[in-house]
Amino acid sequence: MADVECRTERRNRPGTKTVEYYRWPEELFEEMDSTLAVQQYIQQLIRKDFTAIDEILKAPDSQDEGVWKYEHLRQFCMELNGIAVKLQNECHPESCTQMTATDQWIFLCAAHKTPKECPAIDYTRHTLDGAACLLNSNKYFPSRISIKESSVAKLGSVCRRVYRIFSHAYFHHRNLFDEFENETFLCRRFTEFVTKYNLMSKEILIVPIFEEVDTSGFIGHAAESEAYGRMEKLSEG
Amino acid sequence: MKIPESGTMEDGPNSAPHNGQLGPSGVGTSSSSVKVNNSDENNPRLQYSIPGILHFIQHEWARFEMERSQWEVERAELQARIAFLQGERKGQENLKNDLVRRIKMLEYALKQERAKYHKLKYGTELQQGDVKPPIFEDGIGGEPVDGESIFITNSNVNWRQGRQLLRQYLQEIGYTDTIIDVRSNRVRSLLGLNPAGTSEKEDQTGGSALNGGATGGTVGGTAGGSAVASSSPGDLSGNSKRLSETQGRRAPAKKVPPASLAEAMIMDTEAAVMANFDFLAQEGVGVEVDDEDDMSDEMEDNTDDDADDAASASNAATSKRNKIKAKNLRDDVDAETEEVLNEFSFLGSDTDDASHELRVQTDTTDWGFSGTSSGGVSRRSVIPAPVTGPAPAGIGAAGETAHLAGLAGLSSSDDEGVDGHLGLGELAQLTVNNEAEVSYDISVNKESFRKTWNAKYTLRSHFDGVRALAFHPVEPVLVTASEDCTLKLWNLQKTIPAKKSASLDVEPVYTFRGHTGPVLCLAMSSSGEQCFSGGLDGSLQCWNIPGSNIDPYDSYDPSVLSNSLLGHTDAVWGLSLHSQKLHLLSSSADGSVRLWNPQSKSPLLSVFTSESDGIPTSVDFVRDNLNQMVTSYNSAACILFDLETGQPVTRLETDKGVEDSVFGRQINRVISHPTLPLTITAHEDRHIRFYDNNTGKLAHAMVAHLDAVTCLAVDPNGLYLLSGSHDCSIRLWNLENKTCVQEITSHRKKFDESIFDVAFHPSKPFIASAGADALAKVFV
Ligand SMILES: [Zn+2]
Ligand SMILES: [Zn+2]
Repeated sequence: MADVECRTERRNRPGTKTVEYYRWPEELFEEMDSTLAVQQYIQQLIRKDFTAIDEILKAPDSQDEGVWKYEHLRQFCMELNGIAVKLQNECHPESCTQMTATDQWIFLCAAHKTPKECPAIDYTRHTLDGAACLLNSNKYFPSRISIKESSVAKLGSVCRRVYRIFSHAYFHHRNLFDEFENETFLCRRFTEFVTKYNLMSKEILIVPIFEEVDTSGFIGHAAESEAYGRMEKLSEG
Repeated sequence: MKIPESGTMEDGPNSAPHNGQLGPSGVGTSSSSVKVNNSDENNPRLQYSIPGILHFIQHEWARFEMERSQWEVERAELQARIAFLQGERKGQENLKNDLVRRIKMLEYALKQERAKYHKLKYGTELQQGDVKPPIFEDGIGGEPVDGESIFITNSNVNWRQGRQLLRQYLQEIGYTDTIIDVRSNRVRSLLGLNPAGTSEKEDQTGGSALNGGATGGTVGGTAGGSAVASSSPGDLSGNSKRLSETQGRRAPAKKVPPASLAEAMIMDTEAAVMANFDFLAQEGVGVEVDDEDDMSDEMEDNTDDDADDAASASNAATSKRNKIKAKNLRDDVDAETEEVLNEFSFLGSDTDDASHELRVQTDTTDWGFSGTSSGGVSRRSVIPAPVTGPAPAGIGAAGETAHLAGLAGLSSSDDEGVDGHLGLGELAQLTVNNEAEVSYDISVNKESFRKTWNAKYTLRSHFDGVRALAFHPVEPVLVTASEDCTLKLWNLQKTIPAKKSASLDVEPVYTFRGHTGPVLCLAMSSSGEQCFSGGLDGSLQCWNIPGSNIDPYDSYDPSVLSNSLLGHTDAVWGLSLHSQKLHLLSSSADGSVRLWNPQSKSPLLSVFTSESDGIPTSVDFVRDNLNQMVTSYNSAACILFDLETGQPVTRLETDKGVEDSVFGRQINRVISHPTLPLTITAHEDRHIRFYDNNTGKLAHAMVAHLDAVTCLAVDPNGLYLLSGSHDCSIRLWNLENKTCVQEITSHRKKFDESIFDVAFHPSKPFIASAGADALAKVFV
């Protein structure tokens, strides 16, 4: 659209075509003066290349780590809506009566006054809704510029809960998971994220996304995403 | 109201006609009628007939019955009034007690601090006398004024709300600390409560340090730490002593040492109440500050410049600080403040005996203000009155004053002297406040729309920009649509109790999941049972809205997503619903506008394209002619189509200014006036434009915002227009004269976008805005 060129205003005006949406010149993080700069920056990186996980997770210098983690988790919960929409069509309470991944654990839904054995689809929705409420809570996260240490501590439990959505999809709706993962690289990014910031312990990261890669025997993050990409292509083919 | 003193009805005005009719028939039959008919004794005697007598008796009886019922009504009214006044007084007493209690606590803390300081500095205990924690029950005993016990209750909530409201008003009109300080000082001095000399003399805290043995403080009104003060402590109740301490500098200088104990107490109470209310006024600014903090500030202020050098070291430090403060205050008296002071001069000029005179006037009306405020207005005739107001300026402003006062819950009506003083204090404040508002909102002309909208609810739960919102037709319920791919249902009656904040947070009661990309537009059916959303991926979803009392964590009901309307091949940006039948218009970046009947098996009714005009950005049914629709384009074109034929009916004139605007030709939103043949467009070039549908001519154009105008809404009556812009503000416009009534900064920017949508509730006094900051806000 013409206005993108003639003015540098970064706007999605009514009438913008899908392909033009957010298609504007990149903005340097240092030049973002908005209170939502971190979100802007993360989304800009994802739009640029969603497979470039390391770059996406690399905080700008002097960026407050609490805010960085918080904004990333917001972004994860937002993108997880995509998997929830897919699950709504496929994951029925009759077939998936409980939230499970492997048969080891049944996860209780923490969105209720007393934790409840919700069917997987309800668990998914409730967990995302609960995360939305918590991450937007004026009590715990009144500001998106600075975050209390006590609130940062809450991020870990949100991570653990939303991760179960990945694991359920992986173990029970593998096609759906693969399709979604291909489009987004979300589980990879999430796994890397919680590992990098020690938000979850390795034992409970049960979706074997690293193992598959590890067998291909490479070291170092730079090659990782490419390797994933290749893996996916191979499996598709 | 005629309340008879005795049982007889001699001077009942109604009796005369009956007598005329019936003659002195009552004589001998009823003792009461004997007297009634005294006036007829000069009439010639008439013959009585039984029917006549019976008729007369019946008539009289009916009359008595009627009057009795009138008296009963009047009595009930008076009782209600009494109850109201008592309640009001009780409220004020409670407030007073609460404040006194706080003061006591702070004072106690201060003393302890002082003792600690003293001990640290000199290594000896400070002789402060019996420093003991304040015992609050004293408050009950110390009611010498009315002898009626007052209960300490928790009903301060109401007062807090009142104070909040007052604070908001003050903030809105841009009150600064300085002005409030100056004003309240000025009012006080006008009342003769605080002549300049006094503040130099009294200092209750200094007194307490000096007096040693005394619990601290002076007895009301006597200059700091005098012998009178220390001689009386044993006799006075603890409460009244503390009261006297609290009033400090507000003590009238001309007060002589009280002749009797009771008198002293009355004066104390009076002054204390005054002090409390001044405190209220002063507190009006610091919203974020805790009440406790405010109090301590106030205490500091009270420890005024002190001539008494014998004060303790800490006290000296305090007063030094306060001197500096006072100096700053004086320096800060800028032009604005001076203006404020001038406003007061009218009061000073002729109301030497203000308190008395005003009190009398105060009692005359319900609101208790008519006399005074209109007097004030007439004196303030230099101030521009509402421009187009139908009512004379004076009346309008007076009404406003009363209105304001009523809102603040400050209508004073008791006839005690205390309340008279209060009445003036608050009145003076409010009158001036109001005046500031009048000059600010010059354009507002109708009392009913003097309403100022305030943010009340914050809707947080979306993870990304909120692109659209729509209210339920009757319930306090709305739906928001976001770039986070979800829609959420909000019930404004389900709020989270929030501390410290004037606005309430709301959590959604339902999250609509179905879009896989950002949701861009939204429309709610006139039944409130369905809504429709358009997405970036070209999808158009129809939703059955769950009841607003649904459990947010209920199990998933797939029937909420009823169906999808397939057809658009690119982002759907605009939606509009027919107000009578369930027909839906959608505009898309694929270049087409489509008309749907979502309930039909083949829902697509027709497709409208106008390739030469570019991409449609927004669409609306023409509300006064539902066979037409109006579509805006990113080429600055705006066209009315006939829905039957699919042909363009009127092409709205393109403003010359748009043609070569550096801001682009884009129209962001088009809406149709609910009742008039008027189309309103919001432009990227910061304009709002108005078109006559019949001629297609531009009726009016105005630069409406500092940045692109993105969204519009007209209130259900068609009188007011709401606009939102990427300049972060929403503005309310009077459609009659196209003037801005109110501007509210509402959302923050994400990239270069800020506000995406605004809405009026179709039947309730709510407006809402949706922003790129992932929030939606509702104003009341
Ligand atoms: Zn499942
Ligand atoms: Zn649940």
